[in-house]
Amino acid sequence: MGARGPLPNAGRTVLWRETCINEASMITLYGTLRSRTTRVVWAAEELGLPYRREKVVFAASLPDPLAVDAPLNTASPAFLAINPMGQLPALQDGDLCIGESVAICLYLARKAGGPVGPQTLAEEGEILQWALLAASVVEPPAVEILYAFMQNRAETDEGAAVISAATVKLQRPFQRIEDHLAGTDWLVGGRFTVADVIMEETLRYAAAASGVFAAFPRLKAWFDRCQARPAFQAMWAARSAE
Amino acid sequence: MVILHGVLRSRATRPFWLLREAGVAFRHVPVIQAYRLADPAAADAPHNTASPAFVALNPQAQIPVMQDGDLILTESMAIALYLARRYGGALGPQTPDEDGEALQWAFLAISAVEGPALDILYPYQFGTAATPEGTAKIAAATQALARPLARIEAHLQGRDWLMGGRFTVADICLAECLRYAQPHPPALAAYPAIRGWLARCQARPAFVAMMVERNAEPL
Repeated sequence: MGARGPLPNAGRTVLWRETCINEASMITLYGTLRSRTTRVVWAAEELGLPYRREKVVFAASLPDPLAVDAPLNTASPAFLAINPMGQLPALQDGDLCIGESVAICLYLARKAGGPVGPQTLAEEGEILQWALLAASVVEPPAVEILYAFMQNRAETDEGAAVISAATVKLQRPFQRIEDHLAGTDWLVGGRFTVADVIMEETLRYAAAASGVFAAFPRLKAWFDRCQARPAFQAMWAARSAE
Repeated sequence: MVILHGVLRSRATRPFWLLREAGVAFRHVPVIQAYRLADPAAADAPHNTASPAFVALNPQAQIPVMQDGDLILTESMAIALYLARRYGGALGPQTPDEDGEALQWAFLAISAVEGPALDILYPYQFGTAATPEGTAKIAAATQALARPLARIEAHLQGRDWLMGGRFTVADICLAECLRYAQPHPPALAAYPAIRGWLARCQARPAFVAMMVERNAEPL
């Protein structure tokens, strides 16, 4: 499919593979790193799973997404065959095609089977719990904060009100995470797992609001630990280059 | 034994339905939402989400909560997915591909369906559906549901169930989110395959029995 250029190579981490030995059986992640694709790429890197990435851009970013020379985008029939929701990211692994970024992270973690994924059914339950909490309680208000900043509305009265209301909604889940981190550095199993990837990537959307973590020092320290990981740093460098 | 804390007039229906489908014995500890009580701290108040004993179990003070041995879980869909894998047999995913599919439908339900479906439910529940504000909210929610519902409608062509050719936890997760949109029939009017699938889900004896129990709970 589309051409893939080399990306920055940080240590052993390779974010973009030009070729692979057995491409037909290889996991393909579709998306752009300026989207929720960040979490699936970071997860795949942490899990050590071989994959290739197919760049797909948002149709809304193109003047004519259906033009014959338009790059692969979320309105392209070829992409809609992979994810009929027309959303990023999407995954193809053999006959399996799925959307939903958090579902993809969890699928990859189970497939990889290492310490970044669940080792027991109880851990799987805990990881699911944090993933659902991230998706249902944290992400919607966090995204409202992000959009207020991205759309330069943060300084307006309307934007400040949106940020303030979203920050209030985040207090309860933030306090829960703060309390949970009292005796542990990571969300599940005393080690870094895909639950940390998912939660950090939803919390990151709220980080633009200054002081949003001020009352939650353990949460902030955990957030910084997540972002200090080499695989996050490599993903972030690749994202910034897009 | 699995213990479920909560009431059926809540998202707790998801794990309750799953356990009834699985035929697994469990204990139900009724915990009502504090916001539904005039004085949740009163000496004669029923056990509720603000009761110290419950907050000790779930500091987030929300239902449902599941206990299975030492494991304590919150988030209704996480509980349903866990129980399906632990006790659900064919109700749970049987292969890595099915695992991916079940996760996709669960997260599509949470991220794209539940929010607008609740925006439809609440105006009906609070008697504001016919007000200009209620009508506008319902219209916007119906519009927001168009993309996920079109995607599900296409998927259900030639299929009775979301995955695996059988009823699974994925059907429970999505059907329980879509149920919130059912007070407003126009929201589902353009999707006959979804309506047929929802009718199949809601005709299941485990769902019918759960709703009888739910409807017997005080409003």
